[in-house]
Amino acid sequence: MDDTNDRKFQKELNGGLVGLVLLAVLAESSEDLYGYEIAKRLANANDGTSIFKEGTIYPVLRALSAGSLLTSRIVPSYSGPPRRYYRITEQGRSMLAEWKLIWRGTRDFVDRFIETEALNTGHSP
Amino acid sequence: MNRSAPRSIDQYLRQLREQLAGADAALIQDALYDSEEYLRAEVAAHPEKSESDVLELIASTYGAPDEVAGAYLDTEVKVKAAMATPRKVPKSKLGAFFGVFLDPRAYTSLFFMLLCLATGIIYFVFAVAGLAMSAGFAVLIIGVPFFLLFVAIGRVVSLAEGRLIEAMTGVRMPRRPVYQGNGSGFWARIGEMLRDRRTWTTIAYFILMLPIGILYFVIALVGLSVSLAFIALPIAVLFSQAGWFGMSGVEVFSNVQPAWLLDSGLAIPILGLAGALLLTSLMHLARGIGRLHALFAKTMLVARVSTGAAETEVSGEALAAR
Repeated sequence: MDDTNDRKFQKELNGGLVGLVLLAVLAESSEDLYGYEIAKRLANANDGTSIFKEGTIYPVLRALSAGSLLTSRIVPSYSGPPRRYYRITEQGRSMLAEWKLIWRGTRDFVDRFIETEALNTGHSP
Repeated sequence: MNRSAPRSIDQYLRQLREQLAGADAALIQDALYDSEEYLRAEVAAHPEKSESDVLELIASTYGAPDEVAGAYLDTEVKVKAAMATPRKVPKSKLGAFFGVFLDPRAYTSLFFMLLCLATGIIYFVFAVAGLAMSAGFAVLIIGVPFFLLFVAIGRVVSLAEGRLIEAMTGVRMPRRPVYQGNGSGFWARIGEMLRDRRTWTTIAYFILMLPIGILYFVIALVGLSVSLAFIALPIAVLFSQAGWFGMSGVEVFSNVQPAWLLDSGLAIPILGLAGALLLTSLMHLARGIGRLHALFAKTMLVARVSTGAAETEVSGEALAAR
């Protein structure tokens, strides 16, 4: 029961974060990336397990692309269907800068409460 | 949830398709394409493991079919809500009738109707030339490859037509091509392509687009010119009465019945009003035709879910037989 509640909470938290993380990954990358590569980068950065299911990043990539925050091109592949490579646009970069500010603000705000609680109960954060 | 976790890519895609049953056909096509890209890449990245071993871990990395299906359905709803600019819907019937001028879809649909003549001619020539040349080359060794090339190009063109229709009418069309799968052999894939109902409906669509395009073009052009001319008439008469330019020698009405209507001077304002009504009706008609055409294109160009499932069934058997 606890496990499903945890998963549900995590899923709700992830709502907007997936888009932020994807923009950040693509902004840092010097080359264009396709869905599978991005998924593996996220997983590798977190000891092999991503905090969100890798299947959820594809629809978000398409949504970001539809909002012209990303551009994409198709390259044939030997292992499967042609791959769609994504690259961040200038619009995407400025959106990322704004989202970063919002995220930092949110994180600091939340931390303020969570850390106070930790101090009150005598645990170090 | 835990009913028979998928053990092969085909099983996974079939379960994903079941989870998405009832969703938009175009959305299903995209979701299957993305998942296939990931799953094939994952299998290729672990050559030491068997396909079923890789699939065993898929639920914890990529996500189980129901989770992935949920992600697509959620994102689709959110994106649609975010991208659609909230439109004020006029309350009164009169407002609703003239409110069509505020709907960008009405303008793009009208433009699409004019464009259909050009695309219709191109599609028709492409389809007829492709079929005729395939028939002609059939006796030569290049006959079969030529026909396959024709069908393959037709799929790319049908995807482009889908993108155009979505841009013009706002009806969701596929953003990814159908991936045939490389599990079965070359000849099996050719056989599947020929048995696929969509291959033939796509060619039929290309041929039908010429008469349809002519019809749309004529409706749009005649509607626009007649209604705009009627609307312009009172303005032109007003200007000529003000002496800005002469309309002498221009005979607007020669034999209007009843004659008193012409004498009273009401005929010209009435015609102007009729022009405005006609133009508004044309905008409604264009928007309706746009929606209907998108539905038509979807049935002709996008694979039905049921036939798609049967295809997966076939390729699954082909895999097992190998």
